Amino acid sequence: MDNLFIALFEILSFGAIVVLVVLGLGIIASMMGIFNFAQGEFVLLGAYVTYIVHSAGLPVWLGMVAAPFVVGALGFVLERSVVRRFYAAPIVAMLGTYALGLIIREIVRGLIGGLYLSVPEPIGGSLRLGAMHFSTWRLVIILITALVMVGSYLLLARTAFGLRIRASLENPALARASGISTNAIYGATFAFGAALAGLAGALIVPVFSLFADLGLRFLIQGFVAVMVGGVGSFAGPVAGAGVIGTLAAALPWIIPPVIADVLVFVLAIIFIKFRPQGLISGKGV
Amino acid sequence: MEIAVLAIGVLLPFVLKDYLTVYATRVLILCLFALSFDLVWGYAGIMSFGQAVFFGTAGYGVALIARDLGVTSILLVLPAGLLIGLAFALVLGGFLLLGRHPSSVIFVALGTLTGSYAADRVARGWYYLGGQNGIPSIPPMSLGSYDIVEGPVYYYLVLGILLLVYLVCRFLVRSQFGLALAGLRENEQRIAFFGYQVQRLKAIIFSFAGAIAGLAGSLYAFHEGFVWPNMLGVVMSTQVVLYVLFGGSGTLIGAVIGTVAIEAVSFWLSNDYQDIWPIILGVLLLLVILFRPAGLISLILGERERVGRFGRPPRERE
Repeated sequence: MDNLFIALFEILSFGAIVVLVVLGLGIIASMMGIFNFAQGEFVLLGAYVTYIVHSAGLPVWLGMVAAPFVVGALGFVLERSVVRRFYAAPIVAMLGTYALGLIIREIVRGLIGGLYLSVPEPIGGSLRLGAMHFSTWRLVIILITALVMVGSYLLLARTAFGLRIRASLENPALARASGISTNAIYGATFAFGAALAGLAGALIVPVFSLFADLGLRFLIQGFVAVMVGGVGSFAGPVAGAGVIGTLAAALPWIIPPVIADVLVFVLAIIFIKFRPQGLISGKGV
Repeated sequence: MEIAVLAIGVLLPFVLKDYLTVYATRVLILCLFALSFDLVWGYAGIMSFGQAVFFGTAGYGVALIARDLGVTSILLVLPAGLLIGLAFALVLGGFLLLGRHPSSVIFVALGTLTGSYAADRVARGWYYLGGQNGIPSIPPMSLGSYDIVEGPVYYYLVLGILLLVYLVCRFLVRSQFGLALAGLRENEQRIAFFGYQVQRLKAIIFSFAGAIAGLAGSLYAFHEGFVWPNMLGVVMSTQVVLYVLFGGSGTLIGAVIGTVAIEAVSFWLSNDYQDIWPIILGVLLLLVILFRPAGLISLILGERERVGRFGRPPRERE
């Protein structure tokens, strides 16, 4: 019984991490129609910012607060300078953002070398419940993921800004005619997606430690999750991330990890093939 | 242009030192691999982000044949590699491209990318395939009792195969079939309205390219003497995208020139600037995508070579 609970906790916390990473990816893919291959590197940058702040002797949580802003700002600059040229052609966008990601990844690799750097958890220790121990930090991640999810949903669904974003997504020409600057909206949306990735990177770095290929690991998983969930809505990618995260964390308890890892992808691709619109079809929030 | 490149290729071993000839051989094999990607992306407009799957599985396949069955005859292993590449491409391409729902470009790109990633993971985790280390010390290819080892002989062998494949591809893309492919890239719907079986065309060219990648992979495995998981993975898959985009997708010679250019610069820089080379590569790629979408080749050749480019009537066959 205890083992079951621990397993469930592990699955839940890993699912939360995947959701956190996918959220930014999903928002950019759904709202702008761009599959951002640099998203994994935004995660990496978030982790790196946290590491820098930590190694400067400042508290870790400060780095975690700073990371989304730094990465979001960078995302905004990149969108203004490079990414906005790609909106017409989704495949070119994939290649272009891949090139961006490559540049970021290799710069970080050059800065940290081929090392695995660890960052301590800002809230250490574990929570005892009977004979079971739960890592406090993972609980915090689950909590923050839930908060971020609700926050993003409210932002997109309930605020005037969210309305503008959805308007620009649904009918850019009409949105422009109604006096919405779609350019600014796209910039802000991209920056928001990047900031979410930065936050994800900052939060998970104590769990995974910092290395140059950190982002790559989540990138493919994230894309598959977005496709499984369905591009175009807010709930789709989140649902997809939940499914993929749960499967990826749950299967290794039943079958050998290597097979489980591959099986998740194979199942996901087969699923998308026969249901291209994803779990949740339809646009909007 | 093409003849000039060929002449340089023939003469190269006479001027290069031995170790450079070995390096040049590797580059030629990669050219072959780049051709396969160029066919699917440059001509048919299928974004195959996992072309290395066919390259790598064929490499692993022939390595296993050589290790466990002791068969190294060139007359057997190269066709075997070709067939492995073809079979995998048929399965993957058939699944991704055929079917009742036409697949979106994004889905094909992600599907191939995922395939490549999954293959990488399998190879890393499977003890029979050597795990992380791959399969070391593959015996050399042989023709009768003669061992084909790296050096000028291998170089000319690869050059010959490359030339042959190049000519076949050239014939293919200048045929009616190639014209239909180029049309597919430019406007898929219109080609469908003309009565072409769009999905079938795509699956055919995808499998054909898979076979070429398989051939390249088996040559690579025997040339290096070992295979390792990176051959299958995302890194190799994106490497070939770089080659082709850089040189100029949609022209056969562009793929060759891109590969040679990138590999030559990388060889030249790798001694002194090993750390920053990938950064430079990324920046260059970004600049090419932004400002020269037709690749380096467009500096020399102009648009003429890309059959059926958008905005002007497709030329008749020459």
